[in-house]
Amino acid sequence: MESLFHYNYRPLCLYALHYLGNADSAEDVVQESFAALWEKLQEGVAISNRKAYLYMMVRNRCLDQLRRKGIPTESLKPYDTYGIIEDDDAQERSQTEARLWTAIDSLPEKCRQIFLMSKRDGLKYMEIADELGISENTVRNQISKALKILKDGVVKIYSFFFA
Amino acid sequence: MDFVLKHYQEGKFDTRKALERFNEAHGVRPQPRRIHFRVWSSVAAAAVVLLGVFLFWNRSQSQWVELTAEASVQEYALPDGTSVTLAEGSVLRYREDEPRQVKMSGKVYFDVARNETVPFEVKAEGAFVRVLGTEFQVVDGESAHVYVAEGKVLFAKSPKAEGVILTQGMSARMDEETNMPVLESEPDANAIAWQRGTFVFDQTPLKEVLDCLSDYYKVSFAATDLDKRLSGEFYTDDLDLIIELIESALDVTVIRR
Repeated sequence: MESLFHYNYRPLCLYALHYLGNADSAEDVVQESFAALWEKLQEGVAISNRKAYLYMMVRNRCLDQLRRKGIPTESLKPYDTYGIIEDDDAQERSQTEARLWTAIDSLPEKCRQIFLMSKRDGLKYMEIADELGISENTVRNQISKALKILKDGVVKIYSFFFA
Repeated sequence: MDFVLKHYQEGKFDTRKALERFNEAHGVRPQPRRIHFRVWSSVAAAAVVLLGVFLFWNRSQSQWVELTAEASVQEYALPDGTSVTLAEGSVLRYREDEPRQVKMSGKVYFDVARNETVPFEVKAEGAFVRVLGTEFQVVDGESAHVYVAEGKVLFAKSPKAEGVILTQGMSARMDEETNMPVLESEPDANAIAWQRGTFVFDQTPLKEVLDCLSDYYKVSFAATDLDKRLSGEFYTDDLDLIIELIESALDVTVIRR
């Protein structure tokens, strides 16, 4: 179970995040799905492809949540709310995204902070420099360093564990 | 990339925390209630095309269940909650009425569900493993090898032979002349890379890293600066990427021969 967790937790969270758009809800859904799998296994049900089973449960739970909120889900089915994509691709994409997430985690602290201020929060180099009391040049360097580390990004991100 | 960036928050989707939360909520035996160990025999089973679960009858008319992994690594749950991961070409079988007594050939990783009243036993060519409560006995055969990822295991040649106790992170190999397992002074955490799906290095000299990769992929390597040290965890499924990462992390050139 541990290895299943280590390997799939973060990708599943990202998979759920596509449906729910909220990190906390996504984590809850993934927890519930692992719990459901655990119960099945305790009952002695042999599930040979646990990963596929987990993705299926996460998706169903996400769709349930959306339905409860009155969001029509028919049109979502094998797709999701962010781009139209088939199931297998969605799994692969979640893993890629989890690697990217992990790669961002692994950036040196300062580098990550500057990178996020720029790329996530949309601040200008000058604004970041002011806020942190550093030169614009340092900001530029740190961002290019981050980008260099994340460069091969979307497909081939650093393959560290999803810790 | 945009999607991840838009939602990225530090400390979110923390696998370790999530696992703790899971264990607490479900009373899922945090360590050492679940114990991992691994045994493999020297038998290399031929790869066949079939996959899946076979049922057959033995002489006593008790039904045997056979689990196989011919084409790729397969993970199964046994009826008692134990999880087994079979390397390619491995076979595991048990009688339906005794799911905690298994026979195996090849290479199998066990994640044993704890049950103090019923021991878990593994028989392989020349090896026998018994797990009682949180204690284990591990036995495997001719030049058999046991690596303990978690918990405690007794590894011996046969049920009655003298053996050695292995705990977390220890490994031993059976000496065919003395019939006693010999402890390995530097257990290789990457012995279970195939099951975990990752290689783990911790300040490992590049030379050892490349030896490890050579063993795994059956390719040989040469590199500049073999003394540099590497730390990190790498997926086993992409050798090219590992090489790229080593090259960029250590600023060396790695050549495949």
